[in-house]
Amino acid sequence: MSPVQKVAALALCMIFALIVFATILVPAHYARQFRDVPNAGPSTVHPLGTDALGRDSLSRLLYGTRVSLLLAPAAALLSTLIAAVLGSAAGFLGGWFERIVLAVTDISLALPWLFLLLTVRAMLPLDVPPMASVIIAFLMMGLLGWQASVRVICATARGVRDSDFLLLARSSGCKPSRLLLCQVAPILRPLFYAQFWISIPLFILTEANLSILGLGVMEPMPSWGNLLRGFEDFSAVAANPWRLVPLILLVIVVMCFQLVLPSQEVIQ
Amino acid sequence: MLHEGLASFYFHYLSALAHGDLGESDSLKRPVRELLAQRLPLTGNAIIRGLGVAWLAAALLASLGLASRGWFYEASGTAVSSLLLSLPSAVVAMLAVHLRAPAFSAISVVVFPRLHRYMRSLLLRSYDQRHVLAARARGLGSFSIFWRHVLPLATPPLLALLGVSFAIAFGAAIPIEALCDSPGLGQLAWQAALSRDLPLIVNVTLIVCLVMLAANALADLAGRAFAGDTQ
Repeated sequence: MSPVQKVAALALCMIFALIVFATILVPAHYARQFRDVPNAGPSTVHPLGTDALGRDSLSRLLYGTRVSLLLAPAAALLSTLIAAVLGSAAGFLGGWFERIVLAVTDISLALPWLFLLLTVRAMLPLDVPPMASVIIAFLMMGLLGWQASVRVICATARGVRDSDFLLLARSSGCKPSRLLLCQVAPILRPLFYAQFWISIPLFILTEANLSILGLGVMEPMPSWGNLLRGFEDFSAVAANPWRLVPLILLVIVVMCFQLVLPSQEVIQ
Repeated sequence: MLHEGLASFYFHYLSALAHGDLGESDSLKRPVRELLAQRLPLTGNAIIRGLGVAWLAAALLASLGLASRGWFYEASGTAVSSLLLSLPSAVVAMLAVHLRAPAFSAISVVVFPRLHRYMRSLLLRSYDQRHVLAARARGLGSFSIFWRHVLPLATPPLLALLGVSFAIAFGAAIPIEALCDSPGLGQLAWQAALSRDLPLIVNVTLIVCLVMLAANALADLAGRAFAGDTQ
């Protein structure tokens, strides 16, 4: 690990510790309104001030960080699992199965990803409780975000298909399911980790974009995207620089995720 | 529209489509064909201008960073592109609104870091090849190495990147047009999603699919023509 990677990993660990202890650290519940002090500046009671509805910004930031940083890795795990199963099976089995999987992947990659999410979200109800909106966002990103990973995993699995150790395992009577699980999967495991890791920053950014557009996590549940919605009036933010904290935190986290895994050439 | 069921909706939609009728938008109460004809040129214009700026900037910075091999260009180029990569495109759009910048500049800011990172690693790999080392040993100048030994090998992946960059640009155009209030196709898709306007979103999907397919096919053809040229 290079020094930069160490610093990035350390920063990520600290931020994850922060969200674990969020409930102890927060001054107030994220939805509680202090109606006498809307739009307040930083003070000892509200270290980051309050928003237009009088809600404590630090509490919302901590809870929002928790929502975003649990949502993105969970969705990344789901999409990597799907990609791992589909990709390794397609590459290993070959034939019509591989052709179908790759064709479906190509078709869905032809559409821009955010547009695909938008289209699917349009089919689902919009006025749902906040918790349901979090689950919808998680399922959408998890179930629709596997395409790029499938191609990489499938290509590598195809390379393994004709290798000698698989020939040996086959000739000693190994069943295909066992071959896939005990012979192919361990070889591809580093690739799975890499794809999982690459997906996380992508999903953090996607959640932010969706929530800013009003199609992700719904109010009053905070998430990074929801907190960034306040930026629409940028001149107010320029006058109150402490409102930039959510954006700075998001940029730091995404950059750390990118730095920890340096050699990536995924275009998305 | 959905009350009659999805299957019957698609049947009616496809039979109307065969007659060249794209149907009527539920929320805007106007023919979809008219809406698309109005919005498509605007988005196309913004995407092409945005992509032009982004490609120029990315190519310039990536080749300057490699040609100089100096740590300053390298570090600053990488720092700028990874900082821009970490910004959600919606935030870039809000910044553009604040600075009163046109929508295409926001698109180029979103697309640029992705192009720059890919080009940089592509050029790095091309410069590491043995024939480049051999050309260096023969004493060729850095310009002729770049032009005659690096670029020909790097062109096919770059052409493929050109196809992909259209998809990235359109993906970025959705939040940018929605927030910059630029009445293009991206904004239309966003409005259709918010108002659950099925006929509109189906047609927008169709158009976007066709455009992306055309862009990728063209890039593919150009790549093949180029490979045929060099062989």
